[in-house]
Amino acid sequence: MNIIEIRDLKKDYPLGDTIVPALRGVDLTVAAGDFMSIIGPSGSGKTTLLNVIGCIDLATAGSVKVGGREITALDDRQITDIRLNKIGFIFQTFNLIPVLDVIENVEFPLLLMKRPAAEARRRADKLIEEVGLKEYAAHRPSELSGGQRQRVAIARALVTNPDIILADEPTANLDSVTGASILELMRRMNEIEKTTFIFSTHDANVLKYARRIVRIKDGLIEKEPVAA
Amino acid sequence: MLLIKLSLRNLLRQKRRNILLGSAMAIGVCILVVANSFSHGISDIMFNKVMNYVTGHVAIRFNERGGVMREIFRDRARVFAAVKNEPLIESADEAVGMFARAIGNGRSDNIILVGVDTRKGLSEKGRKEVEESFRLIEGTWKDMESPAIENPVIISEEKARYLNVKKNDIVRVRFRNMFGQDQAERLTIAGIMKNDNIFMQPVVFLELSREKKMLGYRSYETGSLKLKIKDPQKNAFAVADRIHEKLRPGTAVIYASAAGRSGRRPAILLGFKSDDQSKKQIAGLLKLSSGSFEKTFRKDGVIVPAGLARELGVTAGSEMTVRYDRKFEKTPREAVLHVSAVCAAGDYPGRDVILLSDSGFYDLYYFDLPAGPGPGAEAYSAAAAGAWSGLVAPEWVLLKRTFNTEDYTKKYQEIARNKWKGTTIDVSTMYETASDILKLESVLNIITISAVLVLFFIILLGVVNTLRMTIRERTREIGTVRAIGMQRSDVRDMFILETFFLTLFSSAAGSLLGFIAMRLLSLITFHPQDNPLGMLLVNGHLYFLPTFPGIAGSVLLIIAIAVVTAWFPARRAANLSPAQALGHFS
Ligand SMILES: Nc1ncnc2c1ncn2[C@@H]1O[C@H](COP(=O)(O)OP(=O)(O)OP(=O)(O)O)[C@@H](O)[C@H]1O
Ligand SMILES: [Mg+2]
Repeated sequence: MNIIEIRDLKKDYPLGDTIVPALRGVDLTVAAGDFMSIIGPSGSGKTTLLNVIGCIDLATAGSVKVGGREITALDDRQITDIRLNKIGFIFQTFNLIPVLDVIENVEFPLLLMKRPAAEARRRADKLIEEVGLKEYAAHRPSELSGGQRQRVAIARALVTNPDIILADEPTANLDSVTGASILELMRRMNEIEKTTFIFSTHDANVLKYARRIVRIKDGLIEKEPVAA
Repeated sequence: MLLIKLSLRNLLRQKRRNILLGSAMAIGVCILVVANSFSHGISDIMFNKVMNYVTGHVAIRFNERGGVMREIFRDRARVFAAVKNEPLIESADEAVGMFARAIGNGRSDNIILVGVDTRKGLSEKGRKEVEESFRLIEGTWKDMESPAIENPVIISEEKARYLNVKKNDIVRVRFRNMFGQDQAERLTIAGIMKNDNIFMQPVVFLELSREKKMLGYRSYETGSLKLKIKDPQKNAFAVADRIHEKLRPGTAVIYASAAGRSGRRPAILLGFKSDDQSKKQIAGLLKLSSGSFEKTFRKDGVIVPAGLARELGVTAGSEMTVRYDRKFEKTPREAVLHVSAVCAAGDYPGRDVILLSDSGFYDLYYFDLPAGPGPGAEAYSAAAAGAWSGLVAPEWVLLKRTFNTEDYTKKYQEIARNKWKGTTIDVSTMYETASDILKLESVLNIITISAVLVLFFIILLGVVNTLRMTIRERTREIGTVRAIGMQRSDVRDMFILETFFLTLFSSAAGSLLGFIAMRLLSLITFHPQDNPLGMLLVNGHLYFLPTFPGIAGSVLLIIAIAVVTAWFPARRAANLSPAQALGHFS
């Protein structure tokens, strides 16, 4: 089953009087449960593609189906609901909420879903344990290292049991050892939770973690080699 | 819950900035609370401490025969009946006061003599109030009732000092009585009091019945009435309206007997209105067989119907006597009247009716109020007057109710202009008569409003600026929560809540500060005699009366301003596109 189906996706950014074409006709399907990497040089359109898939940016043209649902025609409230329920995000800069401690950050999406507080707490506890931060539950993000913060972000992305987790260069702000451990954690969670992961990178070293690799250049996807 | 937690924690995040804005708001609230309590304090002094003693919450005033100074009503019992059975009235007192020139030891000064009804006995609450407001430093209130002392009075400390008099000294006073005659009396200083505020300094208290006698009242007559009302702000108008309704006048009737050459017959004396319009109408109704309508306006001139004239044996030009029983005196009243006209036919108020012009009629009627129709005799009903019902003289003229000072002043100008022949009765509340006090209050309100305006700008600039900075700093955070799935409206509410809590805490702090400020300000002692603002003081101290609605109103107002101001930047933050917000690096 394909969790994502993209047909002829175009995305232009207006820049003053000119238009910058960031995506110029992308076709892409992603199978449920995949662990996929998008690689490409800087400015090739990785972030733009992930944003469109993650419903935080709108396509200029083309069709984007997430979980079988066409998202290009939805209003803001519906799209926000899709983000909340179907998609998890991991950011390059971690983006935790500084005024909430680790456990509160992780349970945050569940509270947005109006889940009972006790149930949210239980689920968040479990994930914090899985990402190995049990002792840090009561710490604020500012008291954690980069790698620990990214683990919290992974727990937060997973807490709602989303269909897809999108990670835009999740290791770019980490040293290579920590980066590797983060990717290993993602890979393990992919296996435990069966969640689809798509992460972008411009670092060829991390490609070995990917089950599938998609190369992007100048807003177009390069022909994929036959899977190894 | 989640939003509340987030906004409270975010509030603590930028401590310095929020403390700065919060302090500004707190100072604003503090000023508002103090100003509000001060202006309430002033109204309280004016209305509940000063006006209360001068006019009461509701006053019933009388002006006999259009005389502005002639504040008398001849039937005390009748007005007291109108205020009876009214549970909202706490007390009803005769308010008799007069200006007088007092001559002390080598010095003289103006005083206001105020009558105090010591016989009636005060309620516990009333006694406390009086003792609090007028503390005697010499003598006792009891001395005022002592028959052994010649006109015992209680005088203020300041006035006694000025007149150079001590306890038991004699003060001579000159004054004009109700009928415009100059009088002189001797007063004995029986007590000296210290009082609250400058308004009360010229007041000299004297036993009510003594004062009434000096002014020329008989015991069954009364001056103005002052009423104390429960919760006056709420009830005064309604009570005044009800009393007004109960004081609707009937027709003034004198049940008399008339005597002429051929004998004595029962007769009814009525007055007719003598204003130009009524005169014209009456001239149209009367068919005179002899004499003239004009002559009726001479002193003691009357119109007699032809039948009665025949029975009495009187004709135009002849004299007759009338006699009637008086309501308050044992002996009957007799008067000689001149027949100015005999009415043959036409519309006439009744076959026994002798008509006088109102001016002559009220001479009799007011000075010697007539008794009722007497046993067996039929009461004269206004309905019998037919076409005359609007033309015969009423018992008194009830002035219409007014609701603001402007109308009230107009009403009194009209009394002077209209030259009413009857006694006018006016029922009014202190709120419509106390123009100067209300003006003072409105000045204070302007001060308060200016404070609100200043505060408004502080909040406007402060909130908008703070939020703008906050939003710029937290753009990526907004992008994050939006990406995770927070709705736009929740983002907006989060920022509004932040402002709301900031304002709420600042208001609480500001109110507290206000109370502390009032506490401190009221510790300062002023000396009212050399301070023109003495009337704003109680016992030489500033007086604040914080009220819950006043403070809650200020706080709500500020919160409302802040929330409305926060709305627009908060909405702009919520409408940021999540992708752009995430791409923002600060
Ligand atoms: N908000 C924007 N306004 C205008 N142009 C944009 C905007 N965002 C991206 N672009 C342009 O779109 C193209 C694709 O950008 P995108 O950020 O998707 O690339 P990327 O592959 O993520 O690069 P990087 O590896 O540097 O993150 C670039 O040419 C970029 O300049
Ligand atoms: Mg990028």
